[in-house]
Amino acid sequence: MAYSDKVVDHFNNPRNMGSFKKDEEGVGTGMVGAPECGDVMKLQIKVQEDTIVDAKFKTFGCGSAIASSSLATEWLKGKTIEEAQKIKNTDIVQELNLPPVKIHCSVLAEDAIKAALTDYQKKTDARPVDTK
Amino acid sequence: MANDQPSTRPETRHQLQMARSMCWHCQSEMSGEYFCERCVKVQPVSKDTDYFTCLGFPRRLTLDPKKLEAKFYELSRAFHPDFYQAKSPTEQTISLGNAAVLNTAYRTLRDPIQRAEYLLALEAGSVKEIRTSPPADLFEEILELQDTLEQYRASDRESDQGRRLRASLQTEQQTLERRREEMESQLRRLFTDWDQLQDRGEATSQTRAERDRILKQMRDLLSHRTYINNIVNDLAATIG
Repeated sequence: MAYSDKVVDHFNNPRNMGSFKKDEEGVGTGMVGAPECGDVMKLQIKVQEDTIVDAKFKTFGCGSAIASSSLATEWLKGKTIEEAQKIKNTDIVQELNLPPVKIHCSVLAEDAIKAALTDYQKKTDARPVDTK
Repeated sequence: MANDQPSTRPETRHQLQMARSMCWHCQSEMSGEYFCERCVKVQPVSKDTDYFTCLGFPRRLTLDPKKLEAKFYELSRAFHPDFYQAKSPTEQTISLGNAAVLNTAYRTLRDPIQRAEYLLALEAGSVKEIRTSPPADLFEEILELQDTLEQYRASDRESDQGRRLRASLQTEQQTLERRREEMESQLRRLFTDWDQLQDRGEATSQTRAERDRILKQMRDLLSHRTYINNIVNDLAATIG
């Protein structure tokens, strides 16, 4: 089974690879892994006034896992927290044309988004909003 | 003979169960394991049969590889499609199916890690929340190592920087390999715990808690081991 052109493109030119400092203001970090295949994915969002202004990822895994997280960061940018919650793994599967054996990669990306959002929420809840 | 004809027809809801305990050919009650004792026809291994049962071993995690191999060879001879060339199409199909199941069963149970993964999959349903939180520290470590690996791949290997990166990666590799060994010996201890629990065969609330503890720790160790295994393989492939 060959990878789709979109997967190959994301794999060769990953978007938004890198990371933010974890304790930076407005940054939410999601770190997830798939014990079955050993893939590890880190996805971070930077939020300003309820909107995701930037997103970065680092993934150690197969091409589909890299493409899924790369695509996820592209989609996250410019979305509000609420909109970001609605990103589903099935959207990623559709966009990247993932074969059935690679669906778990898109699940991993969705989990990473959720984890990053939860982390952001937890951080902002713990720290009352500063006066700007 | 008393078992020639079942006196009543089985009711529909019992049919599946009945089908398994009945010879497909002579309809007599099955007493043999893989062959009907009455008409000597080969019987299909049921889809519900787990690999341990298929190979005639209890659900234990320390198996004698010699015994397992001997059993595999014995059953391979019994099911091998070559010996069914002259038999009916039904028997040929059954032998083919059984041989395939047998091969997968043996391949799975032969490897201690795969065996444990398989046992977990069998037992997981009965354990609440077997998946535990991901090891965040380990993930950070892995991602950092990947960065260093990336730098090393991009560097000139004969330069000072290349040599320095290589040396630090080698140290990391040794540390990780030691950690993997430590995990594997922890796993072996859990395997023994599991077997002892199985041998006792009690079902008190205490043994149930013990059982859950073993399965959960096993799940954790096995997944951590997979992560470490991947990065160690990557290191080995790059710095050889």
